[in-house]
Parts: sequence; structure tokens; C-alpha cells
Amino acid sequence: MHDFLSILPLLIIVGGAILLMLLSAFEKVQVEIASFISMAFFAAAFFVQLLVGCGPETVVFAKIFNGMLVTSNFTMVGGLIILGCGFFTAMSAHSYFKVNLFCTLEFYCMMMFAACGMLLLTMSQELISAFIALEIMSLSIYILVGYDRANVTATEAILKYLMLGAFAGAFFTMGTALIYGGTGTTKFAGIATMISATPAAHPFLIAGSFFIFAALLFKVAAFPFHAWVIDVYDGASTPVTGFMATALKTAVFVVFANFLALSAGMHSSWITFLFWVSVLTMFGGNLVAIGQSSLKRMLAASGIVHSGYLLIALVAISTDHFTGSVIGYYLAAYAVGTLGIFAALSYLGGKDEKRGTFDDFKGLAQVRPYSAAAITVFLLSMAGIPPTAGFMGKFYIITSAISAGQTALAVLGVISSILSMWYYLRLVINMYFYEAEDSFEIAGSPLATAGTFVLVVCVFAIGLYPIII
Amino acid sequence: MEHTAAYLGLIPLLPLTGALVIGLLYMFTCTTNPLPEKLYGALACVGPLLSFFLALVVFFHLKGLPPEERFLVHNAYTWFAVGDLHINMGFLADPLSALMLLFVTLIGSLIHIYSVGYMAEDKNYGKFFCYMNLFLGAMLILVLGSGPVVMFVGWEGVGLCSYLLISYFSEDTNNVLAGNKAFIVNRIGDLGFVLGMSVLFWAIGASGFDYLSLRANAHNLTPAIGITVCLLLFVGATGKSAQIPLYVWLPDAMAGPTPVSALIHAATMVTAGVYMVARFSFIYAHFPIAGSVVAWVGILTALLAAIFGMFQKDIKKILAYSTVSQLGYMFAAVGVTAYSAGIFHVFTHAFFKALLFLGAGSVIYALHHQQDIWKMGGLKDKLPRTYWTMLIGALALSGVPPFSGFFSKDEILFSALATGHTGIWFIGVLVAGMTAYYTFRMIFLVFHGAPRDKEAFDHAHEPPAVMTIPLVILAVGAAFAGVLNLPAIFGGSLNVSQWLEPSLVEHHGHASIWLEIMAMLASIGVVACGVYIAYKKFGQGAEEPVFTGFAKIGYYKFYVDEIYNAVFVQPYKGFGSIISRFLEPKVTDSGVKLSSWLYQKAGTAFKALQVGYVRIYALYMIIGLSLMSLFLSQTIN
Repeated sequence: MHDFLSILPLLIIVGGAILLMLLSAFEKVQVEIASFISMAFFAAAFFVQLLVGCGPETVVFAKIFNGMLVTSNFTMVGGLIILGCGFFTAMSAHSYFKVNLFCTLEFYCMMMFAACGMLLLTMSQELISAFIALEIMSLSIYILVGYDRANVTATEAILKYLMLGAFAGAFFTMGTALIYGGTGTTKFAGIATMISATPAAHPFLIAGSFFIFAALLFKVAAFPFHAWVIDVYDGASTPVTGFMATALKTAVFVVFANFLALSAGMHSSWITFLFWVSVLTMFGGNLVAIGQSSLKRMLAASGIVHSGYLLIALVAISTDHFTGSVIGYYLAAYAVGTLGIFAALSYLGGKDEKRGTFDDFKGLAQVRPYSAAAITVFLLSMAGIPPTAGFMGKFYIITSAISAGQTALAVLGVISSILSMWYYLRLVINMYFYEAEDSFEIAGSPLATAGTFVLVVCVFAIGLYPIII
Repeated sequence: MEHTAAYLGLIPLLPLTGALVIGLLYMFTCTTNPLPEKLYGALACVGPLLSFFLALVVFFHLKGLPPEERFLVHNAYTWFAVGDLHINMGFLADPLSALMLLFVTLIGSLIHIYSVGYMAEDKNYGKFFCYMNLFLGAMLILVLGSGPVVMFVGWEGVGLCSYLLISYFSEDTNNVLAGNKAFIVNRIGDLGFVLGMSVLFWAIGASGFDYLSLRANAHNLTPAIGITVCLLLFVGATGKSAQIPLYVWLPDAMAGPTPVSALIHAATMVTAGVYMVARFSFIYAHFPIAGSVVAWVGILTALLAAIFGMFQKDIKKILAYSTVSQLGYMFAAVGVTAYSAGIFHVFTHAFFKALLFLGAGSVIYALHHQQDIWKMGGLKDKLPRTYWTMLIGALALSGVPPFSGFFSKDEILFSALATGHTGIWFIGVLVAGMTAYYTFRMIFLVFHGAPRDKEAFDHAHEPPAVMTIPLVILAVGAAFAGVLNLPAIFGGSLNVSQWLEPSLVEHHGHASIWLEIMAMLASIGVVACGVYIAYKKFGQGAEEPVFTGFAKIGYYKFYVDEIYNAVFVQPYKGFGSIISRFLEPKVTDSGVKLSSWLYQKAGTAFKALQVGYVRIYALYMIIGLSLMSLFLSQTIN
């Protein structure tokens, strides 16, 4: 029974996706209804996840799945974040598609399929199931990115993402094959036993994990596999970008952490490598971000920087008693901030996303003081200013790095977060210190607005109750 | 032995919720469709009154327990935990905080009700009550906090609200400057408080940083650290409670609306310092040297403020200096380890000072914002209720038996004598005479004699009942509150002191009953002299004198503000201007600008890497993979 309950959220989302798929056969069902249905399913799954909770690590249906799926507190947190992201994305999408009229029912359906891929990915403790989950997620996301077929940038984005994503997928399979060759198993637990049993690592194992790291680093847009992220985020429609930036990153980081934490041998042999990747990712991301004039591109680049912070947390995880709480907290903090800003962009962007650059938001505070204040809160949270969630998240990451003996990395992380003020505050300055040129009329529905303000509350709530996770 | 009581959290929460609700209502409606004033007034009074009710519940709950178990605790949640520092958002109600709670909420509620009438024509009605509720909520957090850190939240909260309310009439620059002054001077004191708190934590905070744990560990303090803690905390108290050298903000704080002055002087804010010292009695009691410093600073403040008070002509400034002076008494009491006497004076003072301020408010209201006592006179018949209630307040303030001020002040003076602080006692008696003099100078000039401003006099009328009823209630308190702590020679048994016993660490001095009677007679005699001189000079009407010599220096408050300005403010500004004119633009900025220029250039370079061709991106991946394998080959071998 407990096994069933722990995957119940996943089942709810699958059920919802299939239901929507079936409904799309009927012409009478409107897109709006679909958005409400998906919101309802996301909310239901979220609360089920919250109620079921999770005790210690549980192997789900050990006999049926042969130990492929494992739930723990960490996967529960990941699940909650993903489901929350789904809910708020559906909310923003509802507003967004009031003015951008290319939506069909399958949009929400695809979003839910993507979410179930993500949920599955967080639970995967085995390489093949992880690969399948990764691909379920990626395929759905490809479709979402290129949903506006008439739009050139969207089409360009999907093409780039698909091609480069195919490379990553190939790396992952390659890695899986090599690891299987080296250890004779694809289960994380089995690999861990192998590593601890044989002091000299098998070359296949090293090569395999090499490829798997490459694939995962691609998915989280770590330097130098980051280049796709700017163009793809820019081309995708705003709610989808928000969904990708938060939920996808959460899912991949959860599986990344699970994979790394499986044995001390694995972690310690890659630690120096991850150190450099995280430094390059933070500073490379910052440098890319400051040059951008489009907000979505800036946020894409800032997403790279946040991946860099999360890589710090990966460097600092303790394999002996891995809980993932630091990573989970940061992911949650990052998710509320990012979702919030994308929700705000969804309703402020207008038709065809006509407002999308820094300059377009000049003087927003005069016309829409509450929206400007909300965006400021999200930006401050992303920049890591107390008392927001982003600050606490960074605080935990930096302290975990220090206690893991990675003081240099902690210092670099702080420097990077100072650098990131540049582009976050630039938007704040534009909103507050200029005369309004635009009337900022909003056509869409009030749902995204509502979502934005709920998320503002979340930013402070998560920041003030750090024990939540 | 402690008990838990979850409802404690509600006490500060109720006014805070009120502040939030009123604030939001006001924020969303002030520009479009202003809500009726009655709504704000009613909403504002609900929170304080319910808190008062809960304070009564707390009181009776404690009363039902045996004295050594009178500690109610409620830990709402863990606020934060860093290393050894575990801070709960916790509340503690013991006899000390229960007593404070009772009068803070009672007087706070009365002032709220009074404000409904007083502020009736103000256009920012909602904002005013939002701040008032916030003020009371912050004070209740201060009083109820289970440890220094939670207390500090309230401590800062009252500081903020005093700033907001003092500069409430913000059209006038002087009011804003007064608010700034209050805030900045308080911040200087806060620094002392924070430092004291830090030293205390460093010394004995590891096993719990709330009062009960600190009290249990207080014996581990070495004298050096203990005295440091005491003095640093006292610096904080001098800021909040307006003692030398940080008293300068309080007279300027009269710029705020009169109910705010009443709230600051009677129920909230200035009593915080005395409360804090009494709270930490378990430290202060061990270090008599620190106590003596407190006592001497207190009594000298009392003397200085009484001198200033004798020469002021603004009715509110007279009252302000009288508050500073009375606070000096309280510190003299807590300094000589007579904590219960000090707290009892806080208690009685709250009644008569609130009464006097609200009475002064009535006078000002009746005379359309005239505050100069040399332009008043003969209002006795025009404002009978105000007159009689204020007279009771003045009698209590002067320490005329049997009004409340007599008992509390006498208790303090006697404690000073009994613990061997004869000098403090002597100055205290002197100040009592001066207090009687300036208080009755004010009463005679305002209410007796012939009107000095005929036109204003003719238009004067008694304010509405919503303002006079609180006056009457407070007058009852001011008259009879002293009975609660009757000393043995009047057949009482010091009920308040007994009640406070479990919270405080007190050393009672021993002195003969004759000494007590002598001391009492001396102070009654001096007070009688003060009243008589005031009557002689002002009772039959007097004209505004031209101050010369000492009186002129007294009127200009010994030029302390000017000295502070010359010694601290101007050099500080000059230093700032050197930095802003030379150091920053010429020295530091160039480095900053250089780094930002480099950063920007690097950004442009990196932007160029985002060429937009997927083949190039794939190339980056290949480069990345190559670097990874390079790294791998380095580490494996």
C-alpha cells in the first residue's frame, strides 16, 4: 500500500495526461477547460504528495520494478517542486494563451507528460529507467518548445534543442552501455557495491560515468554545454521557458545528486572536475547574462549561474549520509523566484511577447506598482538578498561548501552572486527609475497575476521558515 | 517550573493583525474611495482591547499558580538556529511581564479610544491607526519575548513606530527631523544593546539564550564580563528610556500627535529600558558597581530634566521633561536593586503620565493647537473635566499623598536611603520639590488666573466624551493605583513587590521604620514647598517673564543639543563630506569603475560566443568533452 501511495502522484499526473489526450479528440472541450483540468491534477498530485509524505528510502514495488524506482524525502521534495511548477505554469499559460492564440488542448497534455517524465526521473535509481524518464521528459519538452509552429524563433529553438539534445541522449546511452559493460548492472545500488568492492575502478565504469556526466551537465546547462539554453529559452513561449527553467532543472539535479551520492568513490574521483565545472558555469553564466538585452535570454543565462551554485552543492554533498536537503531547498527557492518572474512576464509580455527586453519594462513601477514590486521580490530572491528564499538557499549552499572543506568554492560562489546583481538590479532600475513610456495594458486573464502574488508569498514563506524542507 | 500557554502568542498578534488589516485597507482605498473614519477607529480599538482581555486572563492564570511556578511559556516555532544559537519565537509571561502587559494594554487601549476623537479631522486616519496598532504590537513583543533576541524584535519595532509616528505630520520638516533624531539616537542605544546581547551570548549563551536559561547560568559570569554586559545593556536603555546622554530625542518627540506622545511616554517605548534592566535583574543584582552607575545616571537625569522642566513654556515639553525626570527615578530605583519599586513607579507613572498627556491633548484640542502655556489661563471653568482629571494627574506626579505617585516615588527614595545611597536620596528629594513646582506652575498657568488669549479662550470647549472618558478612567488609576503597593507603615503589605518577587532578584535594604517616616515627611515637606512656590508665583496670574542668567540657560536646555551638534554631528558630517567629495570619487570609485568596465567587456566577449549556429554549439560540446577527457587522463594516472 505504501508503495502504491508513494507513486500515486505520478499516477495522478499520468491519468490526467491521458484524460486530456482523450478529451482533445472532442472539439467542444475548450483550451481553457484543459488548463483548469491540468491545474486541478497538478494540485491534487501536489497535495497527495504532501500528505503521503515519505519516510526513509523506500524501494517502490521491488518485485515488479526490480528496484528501479526508489522514493525518499529528497524525491518527495523534488516531486513537490515539479508539481508546483506544473501548477503555476498552467496558471501562467492560461493567461498567456488568452492573447497568444496558438494553443491547443495537447499543450497541457504535453506539459503533464513532461511532468511525469520528470517525476519518474527523480525516482529512478537505475540507468535505463532514468534514460526512459529523461526521454519522456525531453520529447514532451521539445514539442512544447516548438509549439508555435508559425513562429520562426520557436522553430529554430526546437531544432537546436532537438539536435543537441539528441547528442546528450546518445551520450547517456553510451554511458549506460559502458557502465553495464564494466559492472554488469545498471542499478545505482549495484554500481555502488561494485565501486566499493574493487579499489581500482574499472575503465569502462570511468568512461561510462564520463558520458553520463556529460549528458547530465548538458541538461542542466553547465558550462561548456550551456550554449543551447539561451536560444532555446528565448524561442520557447514564456510559460514553457519558466517550466523548463524550473521543473526540468529540478528533475535532472535530483537524479544527478542521486547518481553522485551513490558512493564515496564515485564522488571523490569527480570532485575536482565538478569544482571547475561549477566555477566556469557560474562565471561563464554571469558573463553571458550581462551582455543580454532580452529578459528571457538574461534569465536563461542566470539559470546557468544557478546551475553553477547547485553544482557547488553537488561538490559538497556528503555521501555518507546524503539527504539532499541543501539541494532540495535551493531548487525550491530558485523555482519560486523563477516561476514568479516568468508568470509575471506571461501576463505583462502581451501579444506575441511584444514586451521582452529590459527597455520595454522602463517605468513599470509607475503604471503597475504591485507587479513591479513582485518582480523586484523575485529578482532579489534570485540575487540572494535576505529575507527571501534565495538568500537562505545560497546561505545553505555556501555553508555546506565550507563545512565540506571547499572554502575556495564558497568564496567564488559569493563573488559570483555579487556579480549577478548587475543584471538583476538592471531590471529593477529600469522599472523604478524611468518614466513610463508604455501603458502596460494587460489583456489576458488574472490567473497569472494571482499566481505571481502567491509566489511572492512563497518567496518569503520559504525564506522565513527554512525548516520546511 | 514552567507551564505552557499557547494563547500568549495571540497577545502581540492581535494588534499586529489589526495593523496589517488597517494598513491593507488603507493602502488599497486611500486614493480611490476613502473608508469612513469610524471603521478605522473601531478596527483599531479591537486588537488592543482583546489583548487587554487576554492580559487579564494571563494575570489570573498566574495568580492561580503557586508563586514559584508563575512562569507561562509558549514557543511558537524555532525562529532560527545557527551553531549554538537556537532562537525560538517564544513568549514568556511571568509576574513581571504580566504586570507590564496589564497596564500596557489597558493604557494602550484607552489611548486608542481617545485618539478616535483626537484625530477625527486627520486625513490619514487609517495610516495613523495602523502605526498605533503596530506600535502596541511591537511593545507587546518586547514585553512578552522569552529571550533577549525576541525582545530585540520588539525593541526595534517600537523604535521604528516611534519614528513613523513622531514624524507623522510629515508636511513640516521639523517634525521629520524630530523623527530622524529619535530614530538615530535610539539606534546609538541599540548598538549598546546588541553588543551587550552578543557579549552575554558569548559568555553564557551556549546552553539556551532565553531568560530562564540565562538566569540559571548567570552565576557563571565573571565580574568583568558581567559589568560589561550590564553597562552595554544600559547604553541601550539610555537610548530607549531617554537618559543622559541620549535623552535629547524625547522632548523633540513632542512633534508627533499628542496621543502618540502619551503612548510613547506612558505605555510603550520609554518604559522599555527600565523593564529591560528589571528583566536582567539576575545580572544587575550581582554587580552593584554597574547598578550604581545606573542609579547615578538615573538620578542626575532626573535632576537635569527637572531643571529644564521648570523653564519650558510648551505644555508638552514640560510633560516631556517630567517624563525624562521620572524615568530617572525609575533608573535610580533599579540601580539600587529596588527593581520592584522601579517597576511600580513605571506602573503608576503610566497612569498619571498618560492622563496628563491626554489632558494636555484636550487643552490643545480645545484651543486649536495652542501649546504655549503663556497663552492660556483660566480654563478651569471652560474645561472642568479636563481640569479635575489633570489636577489629579498633577498631584500624582508631584507625589502628593495619597495619590499613586506618592507611594511609588517614596518607595524609590526610601530604597535609596535604605541601601545607603544617601546622595541619591538627597537629589531625589530635591527633584521631588522641583517636580511639584513645575507641575503646578503648568496647572496654575493653564487653568487658573485670567485668560491671556481672549479669543482662543472664548472658543474653547470641552472635547467629546470619547476623549474625556479615558481621562476619567486614567484619573481613577492615577489616584488609587498607589494602594496596590501600600508599605507596611500604612498597614499594607507591598502587594506589587510580592507579586513581582518570582521574576526579580532583589536585595532588600533594612532600615528602621523611623527612618522611613522621616524620609517620607521630608519629601512631603519639599513637595509642599514646591507647590507653594508655584502658587505664590503663578497662582494669581502672572505675565511671561524674560529669562535671564540661569533661567535662560535652563530654558535653552543648557545648550546640550547645540553642543551635541557641534561635537558629534558636524564633525561626522564633515568626515562624510571628505569621503563623498574626495575619497569615494577619486580613490575607491576608480577601482570599482575599472572592474565594472572589465566585467562589461568580458560580457560582450562572451555574448559573441553565442553565435546562434547549432554547429558551433555542438563544437563547444566537443571541446567540453575533450577537456573532460583531458582531465580524466590527468587524474587517472
